[in-house]
Amino acid sequence: QVIVKSMGCVILAPLLNEVVKKAKGLDQYQAAITHMTRTCRPNKLLDCMLEIIEGIDPGAISETILALLPHLQSLLRLDEGKAACVGSTLSALQKQLSRLPVPYTEQQEEADEYGLCRCSAALTVFTEPFVEEVKRTDGNCAATAEDEELKIELLKCMRSLREPLLEAELKHDRRSPLWLFAVEIMVTLSAIKEPLPGLLFFSSLRKNILMDNNQFKEARACLAYLLFVQLITIDNFPAVFHVFILQCNMEYISQLLSKKESHLLKGLALFTKSLERVQDNSLPVSLLDLKSFYSNLRRVLTDCPIQHLRESGLQVFQVFINKLDAEAKHKFFCMLKTSNHAGIESYIIKNIRNQFELSMKWGNANEWFLGTEFISLMTLVLCLPQGAQTDLLRSMDVMESLNLLRYVLIRDEELRTNKDVWEELCRIKEEYLKMLRVCISISRAYYSSELKALREDQKLKAKARDAARPTKLVKSITVRKEKVSNMSPEVQHQVLQSALVTFDLMESLIVRIEEITEE
Amino acid sequence: MTTDQDLPMDHQSATALFAAKGIDVTTNKDQGVIKVIKRAGVDGDRPMIGDRVTVHYTGKLATGKKFDCSRERKEPFCFHVGKGQVLRAWDIAVLSMQRGEVCTLLCKPEYAYGAAGNPDKIPPSSSVVFELELIKFEGEVLTGDGGIVRRIKVKGEGYTNPNDGSIVNVHLEGRCGDRLFDCRDVSFIVGQAEDKSIPLGVDRAMDKMQKGECCLLYLKPKYGFGSEGKPEYKIGPDKDIVYEITLKDFQRAKDSWEMDLKEKLDLSAEVKSKGNQYFKAGRYYQAVIQYQRIISWLEIEYGTGDMQQKKIQDYILTSHLNLALCFLRLKEFTQAVDNCNKVIELDENNEKALYRRGEARLCRNEFSLALADFQQVLQVNSANRAARAQISICQSKIKEHHEKDKKTYANMFQKFAERDAKTGKTKRRRDDSARTSFNGEVSIKQRRRSQECPS
Repeated sequence: QVIVKSMGCVILAPLLNEVVKKAKGLDQYQAAITHMTRTCRPNKLLDCMLEIIEGIDPGAISETILALLPHLQSLLRLDEGKAACVGSTLSALQKQLSRLPVPYTEQQEEADEYGLCRCSAALTVFTEPFVEEVKRTDGNCAATAEDEELKIELLKCMRSLREPLLEAELKHDRRSPLWLFAVEIMVTLSAIKEPLPGLLFFSSLRKNILMDNNQFKEARACLAYLLFVQLITIDNFPAVFHVFILQCNMEYISQLLSKKESHLLKGLALFTKSLERVQDNSLPVSLLDLKSFYSNLRRVLTDCPIQHLRESGLQVFQVFINKLDAEAKHKFFCMLKTSNHAGIESYIIKNIRNQFELSMKWGNANEWFLGTEFISLMTLVLCLPQGAQTDLLRSMDVMESLNLLRYVLIRDEELRTNKDVWEELCRIKEEYLKMLRVCISISRAYYSSELKALREDQKLKAKARDAARPTKLVKSITVRKEKVSNMSPEVQHQVLQSALVTFDLMESLIVRIEEITEE
Repeated sequence: MTTDQDLPMDHQSATALFAAKGIDVTTNKDQGVIKVIKRAGVDGDRPMIGDRVTVHYTGKLATGKKFDCSRERKEPFCFHVGKGQVLRAWDIAVLSMQRGEVCTLLCKPEYAYGAAGNPDKIPPSSSVVFELELIKFEGEVLTGDGGIVRRIKVKGEGYTNPNDGSIVNVHLEGRCGDRLFDCRDVSFIVGQAEDKSIPLGVDRAMDKMQKGECCLLYLKPKYGFGSEGKPEYKIGPDKDIVYEITLKDFQRAKDSWEMDLKEKLDLSAEVKSKGNQYFKAGRYYQAVIQYQRIISWLEIEYGTGDMQQKKIQDYILTSHLNLALCFLRLKEFTQAVDNCNKVIELDENNEKALYRRGEARLCRNEFSLALADFQQVLQVNSANRAARAQISICQSKIKEHHEKDKKTYANMFQKFAERDAKTGKTKRRRDDSARTSFNGEVSIKQRRRSQECPS
């Protein structure tokens, strides 16, 4: 007895090894360990177990944890001053679990190759009695310092929100083991009376959670997703916050939009849901202060390689624009017009046109899309930041800009009546068109010569084909800085032709605009 | 009114009740929020904008259906009033309540959930009814340690706040107890309020204020005049003080992204000497602010060419070193260590950084780590006598602790030995003798008090 008591720690590791390897006589090994939990000094045995967890063999993480968890639980339930121990145990376990790859698809979750799902379930079972205890003491209003400490330690469950849950697909229609794990964590949070508004909206970093600022933010972002999108425990959440929810969530959305696909999906969903409760045309300019949010959103729209994400992003983007009030829209368009991305810029120009059209309607006039403010917007639209170097082929926004200009000139009769505004508009129009004409002629000259060279090359090739010698491959043509050498010559021909056609179109638009201005 | 009546279910009677007894609490009197007081509160002050208020509430749709109730959650609800965090109706109504007051509110949708409603609970364009109880209210805590508490008397406007380096124009009135000790119009630079005899608390509150705002700042000594007091104002040591500040206007300093590298370097020179000035005067918090500005400007800069790069590096290094020293003086040892770490990342054998980190670790009782640092100092510069002295201090502290451990565990094995001797059992020795050696020293792992382990 005494031997076991004093030396138990030493034999624990090898015993556990046998259990993990599922060696013969499994029951006996288990019984031996159980016996030890009853006889050895709990503190020492716990230390041993935690040591084992820290030194886990990476290949056997889930098996070891699954084997240890029931024993850890029985040990901790005996121990008197257990709060700190529960905390260290949770930390150690989470650290190891975060090394396991996260299953993403349904098949992966069912296969559970690395055991993450099983471990999550086991972890839930492990924490259950402690959560129950906390719930019980609450009811009796006799909470001791120990209970308070236990609550604080249980808060560590939030770490799992970040790893692994942020990576997993969590949808309420597919009740995967990881989903259940997420639900359990939310339940734990309410059991330990951790008020979610405080955590999400007014939080300061708790020192004992063992996460740095960024990690804590990620955990809270996952929490926001589970609460607002998947509606877990939403009934317990106060309904009296208003646009504030969007404001606070923007930080989390920004965080989620900056990383991987699983995060992005959650971020976009959170964004969509947060916008639902906002009235159209109501969001104020102050919302645009969170610069990182907009750069992350823009990055998703322009750089994300996954198409359906870009599309969803664009949808939410438009919904967001619709929710901004006039002044905010104006500022937002200014912000994005300088984003140096042709796709976004042309999208913005379309929006500007819509707003302009709307404000033309009787009773909708607003100062931001008429008169001087609008002209300042037009100044941004009608500019070629790269001057003569502008690659017209890649600037679809140029076409949009011309169209907008033409539209404005046709529709807005008032524009001519206000002398200052009209002069200003004519001035920027002149500068723009002048530069544009230069660009067009440069580009046209360039592409024409390329076209000619291509034709020459074709002739040469045809001749060379008659000769026996192998010829040079198609001369690579650079469309500005990009090579299109892997295109077949026919396609190259088409590209160049259509470029020239585009230039013609642009020029005819310019002519039309000049005509209208003269009227 | 003698009996408290529960709100009738019927929409029309509800409106009738409100029409009969209610007060329109909106500023433009558009009947958007009607209040009926069910129980009057304690006569006295009312909450101010920004205050942290605690309420209990029940929310019902006009049909009578309950959609939210804080009492059911058994948790009072806290928020900062007048800041747009909650429904407009609440921001208006709560400011009109007194402590302990219970009232019912009838809110038109424009003051509540609007045309969008709340997709999960409230249909679009719904009027709603709230029963509110104002339990308590207190000022807004601006710093983590509660040293600066603000209560706003007049809300400001605009979307920006003064940043470090801004020039602000204020009117201030300082009081200790009921005595007014300072009343003037003054301009100062944020971060350098000290130069105008204005305490740290006022300075630090500036970046939360808006133009036109008038607020009361309740400062604890740490953010006031500390343990020195201020003889010129006849303020003794460790006194709480209150300032009423009106921010008339301000001019923001350029943000990091608004400045080019040359500007930043020029400014850094000025700021650094300002920081040094504060340090010499013993104003460590103020010095920290200045040094941190340098770092925030330069840590993301890359110079063109080696000269510039070196200049940037130098500024960053010296700033971190200075910060470490400041934090040592302020007894904020973790921050001291963090700053030393940054220096060591850039320059492994930086003598000052190693020494200061050693000092900080010693104060945190991380003796072995401190020892390692000081030893490394000697490696870099064997003539550093101070390091030698510190090493022997560390060694004696380590010995002290070992002695303590030994005493605690010494008897344990003795008892075992005695018991074994009595019962005559043989000990089966295991192979892992490395773990437990009975020959004297026992290394007991103190897992949960992990002072020795780097965090």
